[in-house]
Amino acid sequence: METKAFSRILKWARTKSPWVIHFNTGGCNGCDIELVAVFTPRYDVERFGIVLKGSPRHADILAVTGPVTRQVKDRLLRIYEQMPEPKHVIAVGTCAVSGAPFWDGYNVLGGVDKILPVDVYIPGCPPRPEAIIYGFKKLLEKMENEEHVD
Amino acid sequence: MLTEEEIITSLKNRFGGKIYNVVIAKDRRVFVEADRSIIREALSYMKNSLGFDHLSTITGLDSGRELELVYHIVRENSLVVSLKTKISKTDPRIDSVSDVYIVAELYEREVYDILGVKFEGHPNLSRLILPEDWPEDLHPLRKDVTLEQITLRIDWSRVEDK
Amino acid sequence: MSGSVIKVVIGPQHPALKEPERFILEIEGEQVVRVTPRIGYVHRGIEKAMENRTYLQNLYLAERICGICSHAHTTCYAQAVENLMNVEAPPRAKYLRTIIAELERIHSHLLWLGIVAHEVGFDTFFMYVWRDREIIMDLLEELSGNRVNYAMNAIGGVRRDINGDKALKILKGLEVIEEEIKKYIPMIQREQTILKRTVGVGYLNSVDAVRYNVVGPMARASGVKRDVRRDDPYAAYDELTFNIVTRNEGDCFSRIMVRVEETLESINIIREALSKLPSGDIRVKVRLAIPPAEAVSRVEAPRGELIHYARSDGSDKPARYKVRAPTLANLTALCNILTGVYLADVPVILAGIDPCFSCMDRMQIIDLEKREKKFWTLEDLRRYAREWYQKH
Repeated sequence: METKAFSRILKWARTKSPWVIHFNTGGCNGCDIELVAVFTPRYDVERFGIVLKGSPRHADILAVTGPVTRQVKDRLLRIYEQMPEPKHVIAVGTCAVSGAPFWDGYNVLGGVDKILPVDVYIPGCPPRPEAIIYGFKKLLEKMENEEHVD
Repeated sequence: MLTEEEIITSLKNRFGGKIYNVVIAKDRRVFVEADRSIIREALSYMKNSLGFDHLSTITGLDSGRELELVYHIVRENSLVVSLKTKISKTDPRIDSVSDVYIVAELYEREVYDILGVKFEGHPNLSRLILPEDWPEDLHPLRKDVTLEQITLRIDWSRVEDK
Repeated sequence: MSGSVIKVVIGPQHPALKEPERFILEIEGEQVVRVTPRIGYVHRGIEKAMENRTYLQNLYLAERICGICSHAHTTCYAQAVENLMNVEAPPRAKYLRTIIAELERIHSHLLWLGIVAHEVGFDTFFMYVWRDREIIMDLLEELSGNRVNYAMNAIGGVRRDINGDKALKILKGLEVIEEEIKKYIPMIQREQTILKRTVGVGYLNSVDAVRYNVVGPMARASGVKRDVRRDDPYAAYDELTFNIVTRNEGDCFSRIMVRVEETLESINIIREALSKLPSGDIRVKVRLAIPPAEAVSRVEAPRGELIHYARSDGSDKPARYKVRAPTLANLTALCNILTGVYLADVPVILAGIDPCFSCMDRMQIIDLEKREKKFWTLEDLRRYAREWYQKH
């Protein structure tokens, strides 16, 4: 039986130490290197408990970079499906937000929200590490305010 | 140290009228057109006798009435000769040069993929950059292929990951 | 046929075409016996897109071919278009292009060094290097207004100038980073985690390096003394003196040392360029409807020879624009190197060609005998490799 206290503890655990999986859907790597930089000493997002993980099965957050291309769409969906609930998606960079400037590439579908529900959009080409951290902060606030039934 | 002029003279001596439209655009940049029948031989000659040991890439393009191939070869990492040839648009084929330059194997596959040129004698002429289920006859870099056409012909809902 | 077939799915692999590559590795026991590259690119259709945009718009597209060496692409692009028009950037602009290019080389090599450290499980070093790399990112931001995608190039020159203050900041920053990099060298040369995984691994001899038309640090680590900056000079390189770093061992360790030593050379190139910086305009005015012409432009990007080919037709859009980035050039040699190696060596050898960062994706294992399919992540392969090295 779920008590309110128990849900609150669960929520605190999720928002205090969210695990992130990072997936590039065909971008130029500009966003990826800034996303990784966020986990290095100068920015050190790990002090907020945010950790980069290799496997979707343990991740709370999917951080996507790059414009979604045809070949990668399926893989992106599968990664999302492998994540446990509750899960969230951050679109990092203008390509993930909308596909631009490759919006008319013949192999490009567009931004991530064409495939997955996106919680937070971080525009920028690429967004600075500070902007990425701000985006994560916004997501953590959102997660904290959510009610989730386990 | 061969100069641009000496290289042209060598080519003309060897291949006569099958070498034409020579342009020395600037230092270390030569553009020359050759008959399609001697491309492979010309590249072989330039590699083995004139020291062009490096193939940077092969460009394929649609110049309207025909297709064109440009082989960018380099001597001593310095002097670039872009050897061009025209081939038929309706039946685009030419001998593979992958036995002359090993890396041509990849570059020819790319041209095959996006332009539809068949390289005869190629050990493995298969798609390089487009998805496996991309339509056989749809070559994006052809001028008559538009984004609208591609959007109409590609089924976005179904993607196979092989 | 006995043995398992491993299918390696790797993400974006190089600057020009940011796509995943697939390698099928056939394995007997613990060794790779055959490599078939099957490139299923995640392809953005950039070359086609360029035909639909003006020369000016394409400058911004070219920049985003690769976020790690974007300046190499815009330099190569600006040069190609300038050649089509028969114009040259003014001397001061050429020097500024050179300074940014070398800062980019340093950031790219340090980025790569961190990744390699991560590959062999030396995460502390990864963190050190990426922390120090921030010094360069700050300088790039100081000069251009951005950390990544500096948009410094214009067709006809550069968009921003530097003044005495900025030059001083660069020199100060370089002093700090030079000291740090000099500390890395003895660390790398003595650290068992690195040595065990890289010395003698992934060997490519100089004859094959030439036969396979290998470019960049890969070639130089196999004793091939070639560098577009010296052999086919562009920007201000013909007025600057610098060494081409080569090594003869042709293994993964040499590839590390070549890149580290190159960053020290880059620091000196920047110093020299700053001291000799000519005065004058940073840009010439250009008209962007270009009569029919062709141009080939080459630069030495951090990963090696980058080549662009442009054809104009009298309009304000290119008739054709072709980009071939260095990682594709090295792909054929890579497959040759991978044949005969231990599976545990695959991640480090792959890293050795410096494919663009966010490449490593997943692996699929197909066991032919059992007809089973398993999915590994690259982290799984890394773990396999580390465990393997602990036993051997």
